[in-house]
Amino acid sequence: MGFMALAMRALPQVFLAGQEFPEAWDRWLRYVSYGLISSIISVTLFVSGSQVETSAAPRRALALLVAVMIARATGSAVTGMLAGALLTLFVGWFSL
Amino acid sequence: MSLLARFRQGMQAAVPIWIVFVPSSIAWGIAAQRHGLSFNEAIFMSAWVYSGPAQFAVLAPLAENKSAMQVLIAGFLMNLRFLPMSTALTPFFRGVKRMPLLVSSHVISASSFIVPYVQFQKERASAEYASSATSPENGYRNLMFFLGVGITSFLVWITGTGTGFGIALRFPHRFDEALLFILPGYFAGLLVVETKGLPMMLVCLGSLIAALPGAVISSGWGWLATAIGVATLVWGVEQWKIHASRSF
Repeated sequence: MGFMALAMRALPQVFLAGQEFPEAWDRWLRYVSYGLISSIISVTLFVSGSQVETSAAPRRALALLVAVMIARATGSAVTGMLAGALLTLFVGWFSL
Repeated sequence: MSLLARFRQGMQAAVPIWIVFVPSSIAWGIAAQRHGLSFNEAIFMSAWVYSGPAQFAVLAPLAENKSAMQVLIAGFLMNLRFLPMSTALTPFFRGVKRMPLLVSSHVISASSFIVPYVQFQKERASAEYASSATSPENGYRNLMFFLGVGITSFLVWITGTGTGFGIALRFPHRFDEALLFILPGYFAGLLVVETKGLPMMLVCLGSLIAALPGAVISSGWGWLATAIGVATLVWGVEQWKIHASRSF
């Protein structure tokens, strides 16, 4: 698995390093990269195995929304993340 | 700016990633311990695979003694995302020899990709970059910035794994939820702060939503396919609009 991870990381670096892509390709790569990161957010928070975690999804979605709003308002991703994490803690404690 | 100064600049830019990696790697260490991995196995996997989502994805199949092929396929699919990320970084490393690139590529992760990538994009847009963009020195300077982010984040990830493994038995379960939130919460904040323009917002929002049915259909490749599909769709519409505006 480590070799496969290294191959995915290294192949473009070794064979394409320094190449300037056409503007359209560059934009496509940017969109795909950001799309994949968005997907990671979704899968990590809302999916377990191949099932949507319906019981946890509302509070995690709320925490995500708060994190996004605070990050947007403050211009700091860490501040937004901390706010969202704190919210999940509080919601968790109150629901116990 | 000297190469060392550029490395330090990368380290400074990586501080938010360290803040995120400490709890996330501790969460991984705890999860590894709870799923029956040994300390050495947990550290080795963190160092060699160095991919949070892939490491979490293979924990359950490993604990359930699923076939090695199944674990490999799950890991392979999770790691496919590095291909476009690594490719997107390549134009910024012009003139760098292959061996340093091969070695340094190991520390590419979603976090250590997006921070340098955003930085390089900003620099490319500046007038100063335009004059030095094609020089090999600029490729090495960019590599040093990337390594400042990547190496330090990698070390934090390994240290956090060991710490998490050590404290797993004493760690209260009520913190699990907050630990789970930290990495995706940081990514979401980063995307919101850094993305500009309607197409990019559509890509992020569309991928976020489409990943759910994608992952339900196939937990391995479904979310990857939907992200690539959404990005390509938005890109295609944008391309079509560009061509249409040129033809008038």
